[in-house]
Amino acid sequence: MKKIITFWKKGDSYILLTAGGLLFSLAMVIFMISIILIKGFASFYANDVAEIKMKDNSIYLAEILETEEVVLQSESGKTYNQKQINIKIANRDIFDQDFKWINSNEISKIEYPQNVTVFERWEYGNLIAYVKNLNYNGKVYQTRDKDFWDIFSSAFEKSEENKSEKENLEEELNDVLSPISEIQREISLMEINFPWKTKEIEKLKQQEEILQAEINSQIEQLNQKIEQKVIENSEIYATVQAGDGTEITLPLEKVYRFYRPNDMNFISKSGLYLTRIWEFLVEEPRESNTEGGVFPAIFGTVMMVILMSIAVVPFGVLAALYLNEYAKQGFVTRLIRLAIANLAGVPSIVYGIFGLGFFIYFLGGTIDQLFFSSKLPEPTLGTGGILWASLTLSLLTLPVVVVATEEGILAVPKANKDGALALGATKWQMIRKIVLPNAMPGILTGVILAISRGAGEVAPLMITGVVKLAPTLPFDTTFPFFHLDRKFMHLGFHIYDVGFQSPNVEASLPMVYTTALLLIFIVITLNLSAIFLRNYLRKKFKTSAF
Amino acid sequence: MKELTKFQKRLKFENKVASGLITLGGYGVIVSVLLIFFFLVLETLPLFWKTSLEKDFEISGKTPISIGMDDYKELVYQVYENGIISYYNIKQKKNIKYDTLSLSAGEKIISSSSTLERDEIAFCTDSGRIINASILFTQEYRGNSRTIGSKLEKYGDFSGNESGKSLENLSFDKNENGNKFWVWTNDKKNVFIKIFDLEEDSNYTHNLTELTGGTKITASAINAETEVLFLSDENGEIFYFDISDYESPELKSHWKVSNNEITAISFLIGGNAMVLGSKKGEVEVWFQIRNENDDLVFTKTHVFENHNSEITKIVPSQRNRTFITIDKLGELHLNYSTTSATNVKFDNEKKGIKLVEFSPTADVIIVADDNSKIGFFNLQNEHPEVTVNSLFGKIWYEGYSKPEFVWQSTGGSDAFEPKMSLIPLIFGTIKGTFYAMIFSIPIAILGAIYVSQFAPKNLAAIIKPVIEIMAALPSVVIGFLAGLFFSPLFEKNLLLILLLSTAAPILFVVIISLWGLIPEDKRRKFSNTWELIFVFIAMVLVFIIFWGISEPLGTYFFDGNIKNWLYTNFNIGYDQRNSLVVGIALGFAVIPIIFTITEDALSNVPKSLTSASLALGASKWQTVQRVVLPAASGGIFAAIILGLGRAIGETMIVLMATGNTPILDLSLFNGFRAMSATIAVEIPEAPVGGSLYRVLFLTALLLLIFTFIVNSLATYIGDKLRKKYARY
Repeated sequence: MKKIITFWKKGDSYILLTAGGLLFSLAMVIFMISIILIKGFASFYANDVAEIKMKDNSIYLAEILETEEVVLQSESGKTYNQKQINIKIANRDIFDQDFKWINSNEISKIEYPQNVTVFERWEYGNLIAYVKNLNYNGKVYQTRDKDFWDIFSSAFEKSEENKSEKENLEEELNDVLSPISEIQREISLMEINFPWKTKEIEKLKQQEEILQAEINSQIEQLNQKIEQKVIENSEIYATVQAGDGTEITLPLEKVYRFYRPNDMNFISKSGLYLTRIWEFLVEEPRESNTEGGVFPAIFGTVMMVILMSIAVVPFGVLAALYLNEYAKQGFVTRLIRLAIANLAGVPSIVYGIFGLGFFIYFLGGTIDQLFFSSKLPEPTLGTGGILWASLTLSLLTLPVVVVATEEGILAVPKANKDGALALGATKWQMIRKIVLPNAMPGILTGVILAISRGAGEVAPLMITGVVKLAPTLPFDTTFPFFHLDRKFMHLGFHIYDVGFQSPNVEASLPMVYTTALLLIFIVITLNLSAIFLRNYLRKKFKTSAF
Repeated sequence: MKELTKFQKRLKFENKVASGLITLGGYGVIVSVLLIFFFLVLETLPLFWKTSLEKDFEISGKTPISIGMDDYKELVYQVYENGIISYYNIKQKKNIKYDTLSLSAGEKIISSSSTLERDEIAFCTDSGRIINASILFTQEYRGNSRTIGSKLEKYGDFSGNESGKSLENLSFDKNENGNKFWVWTNDKKNVFIKIFDLEEDSNYTHNLTELTGGTKITASAINAETEVLFLSDENGEIFYFDISDYESPELKSHWKVSNNEITAISFLIGGNAMVLGSKKGEVEVWFQIRNENDDLVFTKTHVFENHNSEITKIVPSQRNRTFITIDKLGELHLNYSTTSATNVKFDNEKKGIKLVEFSPTADVIIVADDNSKIGFFNLQNEHPEVTVNSLFGKIWYEGYSKPEFVWQSTGGSDAFEPKMSLIPLIFGTIKGTFYAMIFSIPIAILGAIYVSQFAPKNLAAIIKPVIEIMAALPSVVIGFLAGLFFSPLFEKNLLLILLLSTAAPILFVVIISLWGLIPEDKRRKFSNTWELIFVFIAMVLVFIIFWGISEPLGTYFFDGNIKNWLYTNFNIGYDQRNSLVVGIALGFAVIPIIFTITEDALSNVPKSLTSASLALGASKWQTVQRVVLPAASGGIFAAIILGLGRAIGETMIVLMATGNTPILDLSLFNGFRAMSATIAVEIPEAPVGGSLYRVLFLTALLLLIFTFIVNSLATYIGDKLRKKYARY
């Protein structure tokens, strides 16, 4: 006891206490990141499907997710523990819900039958069922037939082919129809803005009729072709049986992918795993963002941070140069430093509301009135878009760039600079040839940190132009290629939107975790490279110091 | 002087351009900050502009009985006592049309009453007739211009007094089913009500005189939506009727509101507030409030500036809770019910105002005076519901039983009144920040002390990047984990979490004391790494112990359900997304900031100071405690307030991890609604230039000002410290 008292008196114990504080912080970081890693990576994995027979003879075909012990109260008021199992029964269109909790003591048997098939569908999530038979080419194939699954695969390919042909035809039809819809748009705009110009409206309506007559035969032809594809595809379907015995007719064109998890070995599962990751990165989202890929969000994020960098880097570097090379250290530099410190501390939402009020409503609104008045009241730049969001974020990341660049500039040895000046270089020459090249790692650090901040920031974006689902990317092949007025998708907002705004939160959780995983992967990679660069910078000038 | 070569000229030019650009860049930073600040101020200012009433133009004409205007402010109608209606076109500056109500010879209109929307008017004449009519405006497009036309619709009439004598105190209203209600008194002190039921196509007329006891009725007001009727008498008594049963109106209650005669009554939009004006010029608003027994009672809630004489007319606005009162001397007051404010007092150069009406958009007021002039006044009153008191004080809103701080910015109906008290939001922000700070400060500072003073060098090299990554973790990720992973986890293991945050630190301290049992000389031989491993084991041990005991403890003491136990014993409710979760999540975001700056401050304490202390025989900890910490205290303080600044402005975490309910409750187990989250959620839907829009800008401005103070203070302290250490 005495020993412990002296231990505290001397204060050595406090050292252990401080170590505790540190370890706790580290534990938290590791815990948080590992949750995202585990949950994120796990959600690409194709779980085995169990056939769960209950004591009351009902059957579930489901993925077993987790087991949990809950405390329940019996009718007599006594509490008891009960093991519950969370299963994913899928088949949302039949069972109304994807997930179910069942009591483990009501289960009589769990099996993993080979021939259970999981269908990922374009709509209504997954379908887990036994395949009974297949209608294809006017024939009915039974599961026990030889080569059944090969035929199934080719039927699936055929239906996919039909589907994509149909989509092409529809696109063609749209192209044919587009001049008409253009005129219709013009008419409705006229009717809203200039309802008294009846003559002009009448004229447009006549034009519309003429056009309609011209393309009528074309439309008919295309419609026939589309109809044919639809009929063809309606004849490719499988009959499947869900866990509870319901038989369902499943047209194969509704299927996105199918697999039989219990029949797959490690290699094929790994293959599926990698395909899913790839698909997550390059595909469009499906089912109101809860499934499919996040490509538009990745694209939007990347384009936004590039635009932001274009705006912030020159500004930040100039400011840093002014502070360290041009200005006399005094009142003005103190004021600028104060301004930078404050910019760094201003809450991001304040930038957001400033961006909304100043960039969108004030600047954008003014530009609309000057250059796009024909489109009003439909706003062009007077509404959220990638340009305004990037500009808002460039203000927000300005201090990051300035501070990092300053560090780079300060690390340039004075002797080098003086040497250049002594050789007769102008100040600008000296900056261009000596300061900027040597400060490059510092500037780069700033850019990387700014990008990392921009990629993770959400609050200011959600009021300046990010949307949950953008119909078009802000870059495409139609002139002028970059559409800076378009709204865009963003990884961070995707997390918020899918996790908190979607109607079926539980089913969308895997999507949230994978997106979070991707986002922290990007952010951590960027930050690590910034740290690496900074260390490189410090080392370089440590050795070259005079 | 030698002529400059082309190359030299170019160099000189480039140099000039560069220095110009660079200077611009430097000043650009200041400009940006000022731009943000002034833009926010600019957007906020109109909230506090004074209400103004400015004369636009004036036309001549004798005083009408009733007056009105169309939505586009082009056409004005005036109904005169002889039943003639004239239409004045404002652009053409002349009367363009006349209509007539077709009165019989010698009959005169003596008063009128209209619905709140002004879509139907009832007139009563001196021969005891009541005539209903609508004056409707139509729009026509001809060529490039719009013309406003008008249409008079007459709905017939009935006699209100068989003896043919004049009527008084007519009031009329119509509800959305088309049912109409009239109330009037006759020269024999009798009160009548007539109800027309559209669906049944039947009329009911009742004499209410017996119910009121035969006193002289001085004013009346009907609300057709809620089907209530108010009558006032000469003794300052109010009679409250329920008229929902058309066959027998029921006198619900009556009470004395004043010692003076009540001379005017009117309902405000929504029908829950009633304005009373007395003979002495008092103006009051009374609310219908449900008491403990669920009965409707009327309570005086707002009192306005007195008039100098009897109130003759109360004109409610059809847009909001603004109303105009006129007195006998012809003075006009423009009041806003909710804020108890009399915004304008106006006597029109003592010309004696007789009649006042709002334009449909409530931005023009038409004033008819004794001198046969009708003036049109532009009313600047954009944000009457926002005052300093409504933002920061308790306000008695309709439907509330007492004045309260309320944030409820949007509602379903037109009659909804935005309630924008910033107090619940400020409270929410402070609450979240408070819990985040008490969680993060000890951990971050302890950790920073360890890293800067005691940790092995190579460990510090690993830890700094880790903390930097912790700082870089996007708040949306932290927020989503808090909202979707930790909230359910905490709810399930509430007892464990509570134990870990209270008892666990104590047990941890006890366990690390055991390290002292190792003799000091042996301890010195161990490297720091062993210390760290011991602490790690201690932490894991503490966690395992509490994890193990929390369940049996819960079953034994709290019946296995601590949430229930808390609720039944202490009436503490538990929300899944609560301040405990936010505190930890927000704390997680704040820790790296405090940690980094504290660590910097501690490492920058000059080596000479610590060496001196150690040389004098102080132990490591004594040196830290007596030398390092005091020397770095300014830096640590700066670290804490910078962390505070971050916590206050953080948006996504509080948005995702709280329920966002604007309540004033300190409980750890409730959510809150923070300023930042409110801006993020509500600004996209706020109409540009509206009150909510500006109030949200004000909220942002408050955040900006607060962080400005915090950051300037931290910068100042940082500068001071740098100077102080420069001596060593």
